[in-house]
Amino acid sequence: MDYVLHLLIYIAIYGIVALSLNLVVGYCGLLTLAHAGYYAIGAYTYAIVSLKLGWEFLPAVAVAALVAAILSLLVSLPAWRLRGDFFVLASLAAQTLIASVLVNWFSDSAPFGTWSNLTNGPIGITEIPAPTVFGFKFRTTISMAVFTSIVAAICILVLWRLKHSPWGRLLISMRDDELAARGLGKNTRLAKVQAFAISSALVAVAGSLYAAYVHYIDPSSASLDGSILMLSMLIVGGLGNFIGPLAGAVVLVALPELLRFLALPDTQAANIRLLIYGIFLVLFMHLRPQGIAGSYRLK
Amino acid sequence: MAGAAIALLAIAFQIVYLPTRVFFLGLAGIYSAAPFVAVALYTFSGNWVIAVLGAAIVCIALSVLMEWANHAVLSRRNASDAAQLISSLGIYIVLVQAIVIVWGNDTRTLTSGVQNVTTFGDVFVTSAQWTIAITAFLLLAIFSIFLMRSDLGLRLRALADNPAQFMLLGKSSSAHRLLAFAFGGLFAAASSLVTANDIGFDPYIGLHAVLLAVVAVIIGGQSSFSGPVLGALLLGIIRAQVVWYMSARWQEAATFLLLAVFLLFKPQGLLSSKTRLEALQ
Repeated sequence: MDYVLHLLIYIAIYGIVALSLNLVVGYCGLLTLAHAGYYAIGAYTYAIVSLKLGWEFLPAVAVAALVAAILSLLVSLPAWRLRGDFFVLASLAAQTLIASVLVNWFSDSAPFGTWSNLTNGPIGITEIPAPTVFGFKFRTTISMAVFTSIVAAICILVLWRLKHSPWGRLLISMRDDELAARGLGKNTRLAKVQAFAISSALVAVAGSLYAAYVHYIDPSSASLDGSILMLSMLIVGGLGNFIGPLAGAVVLVALPELLRFLALPDTQAANIRLLIYGIFLVLFMHLRPQGIAGSYRLK
Repeated sequence: MAGAAIALLAIAFQIVYLPTRVFFLGLAGIYSAAPFVAVALYTFSGNWVIAVLGAAIVCIALSVLMEWANHAVLSRRNASDAAQLISSLGIYIVLVQAIVIVWGNDTRTLTSGVQNVTTFGDVFVTSAQWTIAITAFLLLAIFSIFLMRSDLGLRLRALADNPAQFMLLGKSSSAHRLLAFAFGGLFAAASSLVTANDIGFDPYIGLHAVLLAVVAVIIGGQSSFSGPVLGALLLGIIRAQVVWYMSARWQEAATFLLLAVFLLFKPQGLLSSKTRLEALQ
C-alpha cells in the first residue's frame, strides 16, 4: 500500500511540474530547459527556510515560490527578444548558472545555512523536515499522499482559472501570432514575464513538496537530465491542454516502476530507463508530434 | 589548446547548421562515442592508425545515418525546428545510454604514462596539446581550402546561403545535406579523439562539449565558417583565464554568462554584419 501511495505522491509532484512547464511551453510556445533549475531553487529555499528559520510549510513555500518567481527573470528577459533554438540556448545558460551556483555557494569552513555556505554544495542538504501546517505534521506516507494531492489540486485549479481568463487567451494569441497580439495593443513582454514567474513559482512548490517528502536535496536535482525528463513528460503527454501533461507525468513516473518487473540488472536499470525516454522523444516526433493527448505542436 | 578542439567541434556543428538549420545535438552522441570506438578497435587490432581511422569512419556513418533516418525524414514532412531539436536530443540520449550499457561509465584515458613536455619560458606544452593544435590547424586549413576553392565547397556554401534557390538550379539538396552531416561526423570525431588523448573521456562529455561549441558559434557569428573558429579560440582563452584567476568551479558559470551577454547585446556574434535579431530565426 505504501508503494502505491509513494507513486501517487510522485505523480502529484510531477503533475504540478508538467502543468507548470506546459504554461510556458504549451501556452507561450517557448521551449525552456531551465525548469529543473527552478524546481531545485524551490526545494533549496524550502529546505533552508524550514531548517534555519524553523518556519512551517505554507510560509516557507511562499518564500520559495517568491524567490523562484523573481529569479525567473533570468529566462523571461531573454524571451523578450529570442525565439526558437536561441531561446533554448538562453534557457540552458540560465539552467547552468543556477546549477553552478547551487554547487559552488559552499565553503568547508562555514556551517550550512550561513552566507558563505548557503547550499552545502555538492553534499546537499539532509534532514529536511516533513511539512507542518498549522501545527499538524504530515509524517506518515498516507498523510503525505493526501497533502500532496491537495496541493496539486490547488495548483491545477489556479492554472485552470488562469487558462480560462483573458490573460490565458492572451498567452495563446501571443503563441500563435505574437506580432498580431502586439498589434492589438497587448503587452506581450509583460505577459511572458508573468507566465514565467507563475510557472517557476508553481514548480518551486513542487520542488518544496519533493524536498519535504524525501527529506534530502542535492544539486543533481538541477541537472540538465532533470529538465530533459520534465520536457519528455510534455512531449510524450502532449502540449497546450491539461490532459496531455498529466498523462505524460503518469506515463513517465509509471515507466520505471513497470521496468522493475522486467528484472533488469540494478546497475543498468537507470540507463535503460533513460534510453527508453530517448527513444520516446524520437518516436513521438516522427509518429505523433502532438503527444498522446496534446492540442498544440511546437514550432 | 582547448580552444582549438572547441573550434573543430564548432565547425562540425556549423557545417550541419548552416545548410540544414538542424540544431544537431546528435553530434554530442558522436563525440561521446568516438574514443570508445577507437579503444575497442585498438583492443581488436592493436594498431592506433586503424583504431583512429576506424573511429572516424564509424562517426561519419553514425552522422549520415542520423540524417538519413531522422532529420531528412522530418524535413520532408516540413517538421518544425523544435521537432528536429527534440528528436536530435532523443538520439543523443539513446547513443550515450547505449555507450554506458556496453562500456560502463568510468572515466578512461587513451594513453598512459608521462607525456613529453616542451617549454617556452613559462609556458609548458605537452605532446597531447601539440597533437590538438596540429590536428586542428591542418583540418581547418584543408577544410577552408576545400570550402573556398573546390566546386563541392562552393555548392555547400550555396546550399547554406539559400536552399530553395539551390534546388531550383537542379542540385540535389538531400545529397549535399548528407555530405554536410558526413563532415560534421568527421570533425566531431577529430575533436573528440584529440581531446580524449589529452584529458581522458567518459560517456557524458559529449553534450557539454557540443554546448561549448554552440557558445563559440554564437560568440563568433552564426553566418560564417570563420566566426566559430574565432569564437572558439576566444572561449578557450577566457575559460583558461577563469581557471587561473578564480577557480575551475566557475568555468561553466563564466561561459554561460558570456553566452547570455552575447545573446542579449550582440546576438549576431563578432564576425557578422549587423542584422535584426528577428531575421536570425
